[in-house]
Order: sequence, then structure tokens, then C-alpha cells
Amino acid sequence: MAEVIIEKLTKSYDGSVKVLDGVDLRINQGELVFLLGPSGCGKSTLLRILAGLVAPDSGTISFDGKNIISLPPEKRRAAMVFQNYALWPHLNVFENVAFGLRMEKCSRQEIGKKVMEALEQVRMSSFAKGSVTQLSGGQQQRVALARALAVEPALLLLDEPLSNLDANLRDTMRREIKRICTERKLTALYVTHDRREALSMADRAGVMHKGKLSQIGTPDEIYNHPSDSFTARFLGDVNRLPCGGGIRPERLRISETQGKFRARLLERSFFGDSCEWLFEISSGEKVLVRELGAPERSAGKEYFLDYDEAFLIPAPESDDEK
Amino acid sequence: MKTQMILRYLLLALLLIFLGVFLLLPIGTVLGVGCDWQLIAELFRNRIYVEGLWNSFAIAVCTTGMVFLISLGLALLYDRYDFPGKAFANTALLIPMVLPPFVGALGFKQLLGYHGVFNALLGHLGIAPIDFLSGSGVFWAVCFIEALHLFPICYLNLVTALGNIDPAMSEAAANLGATPWQRFLKVRLPLMRSGILAGCSITLIWSFTELGTPLMFGFTRTTAVQVFNGLTELESNPIPYALVVIMLAVSALLYLIAKAALKSSPAASGGKGIINSGCIPLHSWRKFLPGTAFGVVTLLAGLPHIALICCAFSTRYSGTVFPENFTLENFQLALSNALVLPSIANSLKYSFLAMFIACAAGLLVALAAVRWRLKGSGIADMLAMLPLAVPGVVFAFGFLGMSVKFSWASLLFDPVNDPVWLLSIAYAVRRIPYVVRAVSSGLEQTPEELENAARNFGAGPFRTLVKITLPLVTANLIVGGLFAFSFSMLEVSDSLILAQKQEFFPITKALFELSQILGYGTGAASAFGVWAMFFLGATLCAGALLLGKKIGAVFKF
Repeated sequence: MAEVIIEKLTKSYDGSVKVLDGVDLRINQGELVFLLGPSGCGKSTLLRILAGLVAPDSGTISFDGKNIISLPPEKRRAAMVFQNYALWPHLNVFENVAFGLRMEKCSRQEIGKKVMEALEQVRMSSFAKGSVTQLSGGQQQRVALARALAVEPALLLLDEPLSNLDANLRDTMRREIKRICTERKLTALYVTHDRREALSMADRAGVMHKGKLSQIGTPDEIYNHPSDSFTARFLGDVNRLPCGGGIRPERLRISETQGKFRARLLERSFFGDSCEWLFEISSGEKVLVRELGAPERSAGKEYFLDYDEAFLIPAPESDDEK
Repeated sequence: MKTQMILRYLLLALLLIFLGVFLLLPIGTVLGVGCDWQLIAELFRNRIYVEGLWNSFAIAVCTTGMVFLISLGLALLYDRYDFPGKAFANTALLIPMVLPPFVGALGFKQLLGYHGVFNALLGHLGIAPIDFLSGSGVFWAVCFIEALHLFPICYLNLVTALGNIDPAMSEAAANLGATPWQRFLKVRLPLMRSGILAGCSITLIWSFTELGTPLMFGFTRTTAVQVFNGLTELESNPIPYALVVIMLAVSALLYLIAKAALKSSPAASGGKGIINSGCIPLHSWRKFLPGTAFGVVTLLAGLPHIALICCAFSTRYSGTVFPENFTLENFQLALSNALVLPSIANSLKYSFLAMFIACAAGLLVALAAVRWRLKGSGIADMLAMLPLAVPGVVFAFGFLGMSVKFSWASLLFDPVNDPVWLLSIAYAVRRIPYVVRAVSSGLEQTPEELENAARNFGAGPFRTLVKITLPLVTANLIVGGLFAFSFSMLEVSDSLILAQKQEFFPITKALFELSQILGYGTGAASAFGVWAMFFLGATLCAGALLLGKKIGAVFKF
């Protein structure tokens, strides 16, 4: 596993559209780093540049101190799990996973051993001789992961690998991927636009916006202490307070007797284990409050809302930033 | 990365040189001689040549009209309904393509000739015989035979176009109150435009320049036949060169119009179907109606071939409804004729070479345009498609001209003493479009991510090509190769014009020469035609099984 350092990476298409604008990023050995951001922010381009599938305009990438920017994709050892898995339909499960090892000219015994190990790790060993076209989405995803694990890459790249799975399967696969990365001490870069995925799995996560890395830190740091309003809004809901600051809905408390400001209750949304209350303050601004449980409250009635100033974060400036 | 790019550009340069020498130079050679305004003016002053041009154009328009009507009806039935034997009916429709139309003409004469089957039937009913093939009858016979031969190309294009229409388009129109007829006119027909244009323009150009069928019917007043007949006196009368230039100009114009119309077509600009809502199942007696329609058209298209088979297996088939006395003598006669066996060997040799050349060049064009996206690959793609717009007669004439004009070409292309490479390359360049379209369609349908994944897992560019790309488009390459091989085996224009010595005759020229022999000629030619028919039939069925509905992509611009 390698330590990866990316410095001043830039990439533009057609000479004008800047997809990456001087990105710096360090991924420590054995660390699972997430890149988050809206569509078109450049996160997948960054991943493809690391894999060698796209050439950057400028900047450097080093694996364990060695600059790999001029290496072709096949020499980088940066195995990727593609968004649509990219399993070869003319090869069976075993041959798909064995492909990279065959390219490395491993012996037959070694290939057999490593392929089966990788398939066992993703719990797909019983499908080794099966056709990849007969597998479900979740199973294909596991094979794609096994294929990347089998070659013991210096860097594992995951390009929204769970985006094609249903919600239940996604939760299961999240835990699986986290387990495998931890067990194998993999250096991995995971791209997603799903903030729950990033916050629940990452050792560190970075938020990208307009080709730049807005902020990188632990999930707790970027969620509770976002450096700017974009990061704050991208990672969760933010209320704009009468004082000008911003606050997350779960940090507000509702009281009938005291608080920092008054608001009229408009409606309640019930989610079973929690509920959301929508208030309106005197300026006409809407404020969302999230609570565990679902106590009885009357719509139209005025309440006090309170918060701890330690939880204030940058407030959204306009709706455009959502 | 740089070495890889240099290698790719080197391959592209070689490809462009090949296409330049074997596609552009023959055309240039023809233009060089034929683009003589005095010659062209003389041509237009001659009533016979003008009549020839007019007849060719009229044949093209009438044939295309017939082709469109037959194929639209069948394509709509195929797309909309489920019926028993649907897959078989679809494959059986390819039967008309198993023979070049000029061989179909042999069978057709057997049916509608003065002593043909139809007149024998009329005789049984006490009605006087009618000479169907005299006067304008021969014109319609040519159109009919060509339409029956060419409609599968248009049909395949229309089926592909219909398959690409998202059923939600039509459902949305129905939801807003459109009747089935309105939905067809306002939604489906406009969205099919790309398929209609592709199918009809190929038919139009093909029938405008068809040489074999009018030649077989003795309909000499068409431009292609006039060019062919002018070959013998080329040195004293250069008018055929001017005729070829006019043919080229008209074909190029038709091609450009079709291309321009295709560009603005909604289906061509990405209106691809996403969901297939399935066909409507028919019940009780209705479920046999579509199959019957397919059966009638297939039978009609197959009649000349059936007549040909009957003729091949009978001692005498003239003035009677059914053939008389079963015999294998015609096959024996055909095989014992000095023309036949060498012609089979020659055709196999030329066609195999042509197939390899077409596959290599077609694969390179497709890779350069679809995958490598090199600068200049668009030109290669455009050049590779050029044979669809350029009549075979033009190329044949061009190669002939080159062998006279350039000393290097006379060494490589000696039509008199050694035409092996001349015929193989002439066959190949005209079949490159089928390979390019078949392979391009395969590459477009194969996600590039699969190749990226191979690079990502340690395979270099060449290994990725061999281990991933080629296996994934093998079916397409085989189909392109099969088409290249089959159509080379039964090529008419190049064969009739370029094979000048009997020892080098390919099958088609041998067939033509056999059919001209008085007495046993028709029977022997029919027997030889039957062999050719089954050969090409097997090839097309293999292609249809490999590609299924996608086989239509082979006949696209």
C-alpha cells in the first residue's frame, strides 16, 4: 500500500472548461479517503487521472515518493472499481478476477490462490465458474471489488461503486467495503456524491466544488465545522438564523418557555424514529428542526427556538448554493 | 502514451494512403478522362445515351418506391406484433439477397417469358399468351426483380429504426388523443426517418447503377449497360468515360442529399429507444395474418429462385407450368464446362483475399473513428463509406484506367495476364463499408469502460485490443467479413469488366457466359446459380443468427 501525494493538479477540457483547478491532496498509507461533491465538480476526473485514463494538464502525482504522472495506466497499480463495474462479459467470474494477475504473469497456482482469496473476501467464491452476465447488481459489484483486490493495488480507486444498488444492498456493501479496507489496510480513494456514505465510512473526506478541494478532514470536522457555506450545505441542511449565522436542524431545541428567538410552527414531517418541524420566523425565513421521537405540538402556535453558539456554522448565502 | 499515439497515427496514415490509392485514384482516373466538357456535351446530344440515363433514373425511382412500400409494411408488422414463426419469417426474408439480381432475372424469364410458366397457365385456361417482357414490360420486370432483391436492405434498416424508437413516444401521443394512424404519421414515421433515408438511398444508388439485371433482360438502354457495351470500343469511343462521370455525379448527389437529411433526422441525433414495451400478441385467426404477409412477400421474392431451381433440375422447362423430367444433367454439364470449376477456384481466391483486406481496413477505420478518435479518422471513415455512393462500374473503369495510365499499377493490376490482386482489391474496397459499419456498431455498443478496465488492470494497448476489444466485437467482425466474402463471390460489375481472360473468370462472369450459350446454356447456368444461391444463403443465415436484429446496422451509411 502506498502513500499518495497529489500536487497542483489541473485539467481542462477544450482548453476552457476547467474541471480541476490546482488540487492538492495527500492520502496516507492505509487510509480510506472520500471525495464528495456535486455532479461535474471534477471528482471522477481526479480518479481517472490517478488511474492514468485521463492525462492532466499540469501537476504531479506520487506513490511513495515516486512521480507516476508519465506512467501508462497498466504500470500504475491503481486498481479501480468502476461505477458500472466494467466486468468483461466474455470472461467468467474467475477469469475477470484473474485478468490483472495474468497481466502480471503470475504462476497458475498463484492466480488460483489469489483469485479464490479475493472472491472469498467478497463472499463470491461459489460463483467462480459462473458468467458475470447472470449475476445481480450486488454480485457484480462484489466481483468488481474482488478483481481490484486480487492485484493487491498500491491504491484502490472506487468510482461511486454503490450508486447502482438499492438502498438495503448499499448499506450492506458499505459495511463490507469498510471491513475489507480496514482488514487489508488499503490505501483507497472513494468518490461519491452520497454524503451518508462518505460520513459513515471515511477516515477522512474532502468536498470538491468547481474543480477545487473546498475542505478535507475527518467526517466530524467537515460536518460540524465546515470551512464555507458550500461545504456546510452540501453535507446537510443548514438554517439561516436571525443573527446571521447558520445551524444544522438537529442542533436546534424547541421550547414553550424560553429560547433565543420565537417562531411559528407550520408543519410536521414524521419519519418513524424522528420528525422534522418547519417553523417560520418574523422575517418570513423558514427554519427546520429535527428531533428524535415525535412529541405532540400544535401547528400555528408560537414556540421558542434555542441553540448552543458552539454549533454555529457558515450560513447559506443564497439558494444557488444548494 | 506518445509511442502509442505515434503508432496509431502511423496506422491511420497507411490506411489513408490505401484508401487514397484504391478509392480516390480510380475515381480520379475516370474523372481525368471523362470530365471533358466536349465529351459530356456530345453525350447529351446523343438521344440514345440520354434515353439510357433517363431509363436508369426511372428504374431507380420505381425500384425504390416498390422497395419502400414492401419493406415499410413488413417492418411495421414485425415491430408491432408477435406471431407464430416470427423469427423464421424474419430470416426467410433474406432469401432474395442470396442471388445477385441478374441470376434472379434468369428465373424471372422462366416465369414471365413468352414460353414461361405464366403463359403456360394462361394456355391451360384457353387465354392467348401475353408477351410480358416486350415493350415497357421489360422495364417493369427490371424494376420488379431489383426491388425483390433489394427490399431486405431497406427492411433491415426500418426494423432497426423502429426498434430504436422509445415506445413511450407513441404512448405519449396516444395519451394526448392521437389515433393509431396519427401516431404513425406524426410520431413513428418522422422518428424512422434515418432508417428510411439510409435504406432508400442505398436502394436508389444501387438500382441506378445496376448492370447485371438489365443486361440479362437485354434492356440495353440503361447507362450501366451502355458503359459495359462500350468497353470493347473504348479506344475509338471514349463516351463510356463521360457516362461513368455522369453516373458518379448523380450517385454522389443522391448520397449527399441523404447524408444531409440524415444529419437533421431526430432519430439520428440520439433519439434512441430506452425501453422495449414488447409486441402486441395476436389471437385466433388474426395471429396468422402477419406471418401470411411475410410468407407472400418471401414467396414472391423466391419465385425467380424457385423457377431457377426447377430449371436446374429438369431436362426441359419451356411452355409448361411444371418442369419436365427430373435430372442432374445440368449440374453435370455445368461442372464439366471448362468455365465453371476454374471460376469457383478463382472466386474463392479473390473473395478470401478481398475479405481479409476489407476486414483489416474496415477494422482499422472503425477503431480510428470510434475508439482512438484520431484527427483525420473522420476522413478515413468518410472515404471508407464512399463505395456506397460510387457505382461499381466507376471503380471497375477506374482500375482499368489506372492499369493503363500508371506503370506501377500495370505491374500490380494487369487485367489481361494476372488480375488476382486487381479483382481482390476491387472487390475489397467496395465491401469495406459493410465491415466498417458492422464493427463500428459493435464498438459503439461496447462500453469503453471495459477497455479502460483492462488498461487499469495491467494490459497494454495491444493486449487490450487482443484480449478485450476484439473478442467483444468478434460477432460484428465475422458478420462484416461474411458480407464482404459473400458479396465478393457474387460481384457483378468488377467481374464482368475486369476479368478479361477465361482462365481468370470469377463465378459471376462464368454464369453470364454460360447463360449466353444457346441450347444447354440456360440449364447449366441455372444449375450453377443454384449452387451459388445456397452458398450465399448459408452465409447470410449465419450472419443473421450471429447479429439478430442488429444485422440492419451493416447496411447503414
